Amino acid sequence: MDWIQEFLPLSVERINVWIGALCTFAIYSILYRENPFYRFFEHMYIGLAAGYALGPYLVDVIYRYWWEPIRADGIWWLAFVVPFGMYLYFIYNEKYGWVSRLVIGSLIGAYAGLTFQAFSSRYLPQLQGALSKVLWYPPNATGEIYLSTLINNWIFVIILLSVLTYFTFSFEHRGAVKRTALVGRWFLMIGLGTIFGNTVMARMALLIGRVYYLLDSWLMIRVGGG
Amino acid sequence: MEQRTLWSRMMSIDRRILYLILAVNIVASLMARVAIEPDVPPAVRNFYETIEALQPGDMVMVSSTWSAGTLAENQPQFEAVLRHLMRKRLRFTIISFSPPARDISHRLARRLTSEAGYVEGKDWAHFGYSPDIILAIKGMSEDIAQAIRQDVRRAPIQQLEVMQGIKSLKDYKLVVDITPSDTLTAWISYRPANLNIIYCPTSVMAAEAYTFLDSKQILGMITGAKGAYEYEQLLGIVGLGTRFINAIQFSHVLIITFILLGNFAMFMQRRTQA
Repeated sequence: MDWIQEFLPLSVERINVWIGALCTFAIYSILYRENPFYRFFEHMYIGLAAGYALGPYLVDVIYRYWWEPIRADGIWWLAFVVPFGMYLYFIYNEKYGWVSRLVIGSLIGAYAGLTFQAFSSRYLPQLQGALSKVLWYPPNATGEIYLSTLINNWIFVIILLSVLTYFTFSFEHRGAVKRTALVGRWFLMIGLGTIFGNTVMARMALLIGRVYYLLDSWLMIRVGGG
Repeated sequence: MEQRTLWSRMMSIDRRILYLILAVNIVASLMARVAIEPDVPPAVRNFYETIEALQPGDMVMVSSTWSAGTLAENQPQFEAVLRHLMRKRLRFTIISFSPPARDISHRLARRLTSEAGYVEGKDWAHFGYSPDIILAIKGMSEDIAQAIRQDVRRAPIQQLEVMQGIKSLKDYKLVVDITPSDTLTAWISYRPANLNIIYCPTSVMAAEAYTFLDSKQILGMITGAKGAYEYEQLLGIVGLGTRFINAIQFSHVLIITFILLGNFAMFMQRRTQA
């Protein structure tokens, strides 16, 4: 009887759990067949997610970064920032559409500048890493180099060169270049297969998470594992 | 009437039966008390050792941009990371770059920190939601108090005890990026040069991050719930990763079996028809 008392939605916390269980069953009911129950909860989920985002936007963006600096710190010129951003909506007006381009131009300019910085800090270390691979035992090696490291490095270089060859379009692929590009394509396929395999694992983990919720939180069955 | 063979029957099994088998398999393996010894990969070991190498009182930034959609993968990571940080008596701050991530991470952190005796504002803080990751990182690299202004409870940043001696991201020792989206490249591109990064992606994101591991742009990585399990083994705790791992492994075995059986049946059916 105690278990039933605890199980039933007789407290705010248990009502929350029951709503969670109901939503889970509703969303997964699509696996059986298309149904209005599923459709209702799908739309509710999308609506809730969109509505929920409004709170953090107002509190953490508009209030924190706009209203408070104007009110508390007297940074009056920020008052012009939001109206300037709203110029974007002129895009819907045929006559004054050009006004929106002022905002778009500012954004593009800022992000173009940021991208230059990102390029050097993102790709140069990778280039350095790729070019500094040890491919044979150095004659005066002071550090320990394992055979497995050498093999890994060779595999890395072969894959890198063959994939780069595949993406070289400056000349026609013939003979050895064509065969190298084909090998590169195969390596790409293996890479994409790995990503797909990981996607299956991710989706499975999401399902397991919901089943765990139903068992642990809703049915209050303490599950173990490991 | 065409005679149906075993192979044609196998090829036309109702998909709902397969879903049911999968569900039963997951329930059974979640309940099973089977311990599978993990083979901890170097990326997870490096992740663990990067945090182990920090000194008590060092400052860590936890970038938490996950929400309900990837809860099953990112929550085990988030919980294990916070437990590790608190075990090492490190100070930490959390920031979110998606609106729903703010409340989920704040609520979870409050629960975990209260269990460990950490006090919000004194030992840790939550910076709330920031709408643009690039501007946030660049701003925090110069002056955190100016860039963030208030924590999630609206307390001014410069008045928080946890921020004593911390002016910018340059004073932090580490960033832990827990995310299902592409926030890692922003951290790599715009962080101060001395700031190390470790990474907790969902399984989908992990394959693309190996290039960053290879170039040492990130020092360690735990992949999805499976990575969380391996990390929990190093920490010696039973968390969500450990609870999920049997179901993850057995469901994969089942799916691989389905794929093999399906392909074998298709092959045999074609052979029979020929």
